[in-house]
Amino acid sequence: MVWNLLRKNISAGQMAGYAVATLVGLAIVVGALQFYRDISSSWSGDSDDALVPNDFIVISKPVPAMATFGFSSANVSFTDDEIAELSAQPWVARVGRFTASDFSVFASLQMAGRGMSTSLFFESVPDGYLDKLPEGWSFDPDSPDIPIILSKDYLSLYNFGFAASRGLPQLNDKIITRIPLAITLSGNGHTATYVGHVVGFSNRLNTIAVPQDFMDYARGIYSATPQAPAPSRLIVEVTTPGATEVTDYLEACGYEVAGDKVNSSRVARFFTVVTAIVVAVGAVIACLAVFILMLSIFLLLQKNKDTLRDLMLLGYSPAQVARRYYVLVALINGAVLVAAIGLLVWASEQWQGALSETGMQATSLWPSILVATAVMAVITVVNGLTIRRMMRRYFIS
Amino acid sequence: MNSINSISYGDITFERGAYYRVLAASGVGKSSLCNFIYGIRRDYTKRVAFDGRDVADLTISEWCDVRCRHIAYLRQDLRLFGALTAYDNIQLKNSLTGTATRREIEDMLGALGLADKVNWRADRLSIGQQQRVALIRALCQPFDFLLLDEPVSHLDQDNNAIAAQMIVEHAARYGAAVITTSVGNNLALEDCGVSVTNISL
Repeated sequence: MVWNLLRKNISAGQMAGYAVATLVGLAIVVGALQFYRDISSSWSGDSDDALVPNDFIVISKPVPAMATFGFSSANVSFTDDEIAELSAQPWVARVGRFTASDFSVFASLQMAGRGMSTSLFFESVPDGYLDKLPEGWSFDPDSPDIPIILSKDYLSLYNFGFAASRGLPQLNDKIITRIPLAITLSGNGHTATYVGHVVGFSNRLNTIAVPQDFMDYARGIYSATPQAPAPSRLIVEVTTPGATEVTDYLEACGYEVAGDKVNSSRVARFFTVVTAIVVAVGAVIACLAVFILMLSIFLLLQKNKDTLRDLMLLGYSPAQVARRYYVLVALINGAVLVAAIGLLVWASEQWQGALSETGMQATSLWPSILVATAVMAVITVVNGLTIRRMMRRYFIS
Repeated sequence: MNSINSISYGDITFERGAYYRVLAASGVGKSSLCNFIYGIRRDYTKRVAFDGRDVADLTISEWCDVRCRHIAYLRQDLRLFGALTAYDNIQLKNSLTGTATRREIEDMLGALGLADKVNWRADRLSIGQQQRVALIRALCQPFDFLLLDEPVSHLDQDNNAIAAQMIVEHAARYGAAVITTSVGNNLALEDCGVSVTNISL
């Protein structure tokens, strides 16, 4: 009965206009987000390197030609002054030092009845520079088992270069984590053998990495010098990956970046900017649409002002009268949400067909659907609060 | 709010259970007094209070409670919804309070000569018929005070008597006061055996 009174002035055209405008805005926002996720997951390398995120770079100094022959006194280590200057750059969030093992490391393993052994080196980087610590990434001196993160490049070198040419078994990265390594450390008059395990692989850590705790422990026993040597490599967290100021500075100082992460970072940044622009356009359209709805609601309530006041003078509370408008707004926004999700699914199927030909994989739609739902929930709550405020304003007392 | 036992406007006090007739010439402020009490207007200079509590302090939910359970009001301008039927206009209020059954509402409409107008749109009823519908709507709630602003200005003598009887019965049911205004055509309360206090503005 109340609804019969209130629905008279509802303009189907205004509501449809709002619904279409909101649908366009919302679909652009979530479509752009989904496209960005699909693209970025494929080229950023994050999917195959969960340990070290994209905004970390590993830098070193080039090795002088004369150093190769032992003639040069040129040092490839970073001095404290150089590290301080690097840290002071505005684009640097923090700088971590690699600690190299200055003692002898010898590893051997038994596999398929054959033994292999080699001299090695270890480096450590503070745990805070790993995005996600792999399982078993800790060291307890009472039951020593050395966890190791291996560069994927090393494994590739062995599998496709060394093992293939020498008739040795190739190593699968899943299987290698299950094989115990016998690791003999010696130096400073001590020798001991430990068990070690490969616990993860990384594209960005171009080294054989062990936990800082273990490195500190081992250096305490096997190193002749208590002072850690100056680091020859640094891991830098960059606030603006791919920015030209980063590459310009590294170039000016003559530093080298491990792998080609700077360029991929630059592409990442480009896509981030493009996505941000598209999302912003979608957000503006969605905001304008919400503005249309708010105007429609204002107009509708204004037209029904006398009816609303008479109802409230009969004893209807603002909430009781507003409930019908809440339902109306919720139904429209719900329909828009369903339509936007439908559009998202359809659109993502279109571009995924094209992307799969380039070997790119699609990501889950759920995060984008959640974003769409959250946006519509916020819009609905704002609508509801506006209606509530208007009703209370119309209440006569 | 449990119940309202007195309403005061300046030095005038209305007590629950009594009958009052506010007399004044047209334009002196009878309707304004009713609107002040019901919270429709706040442009008064005197103090309006329920049991000594200034009505300016009432919250929105307290006003809703007052209008559903404590003060019933038949406005002079009736304020029926023209697009709804006579019955729906009454049921709009009754559905809030759950006071009367459909049969009881139809009986009241029948008693006031509107048995065949139950399903007529309110805007197709004469002003006198609308006045009777609005009266029944006002009676479809429990109340401590019944405000009637010129309730029989468009009624003939017979309907006046029936309306008065109906009002007295409902007021007695709730132990309520009745405050009626008049410029000459008085609600026939005295014929129902109740004593009425006249108040001049």
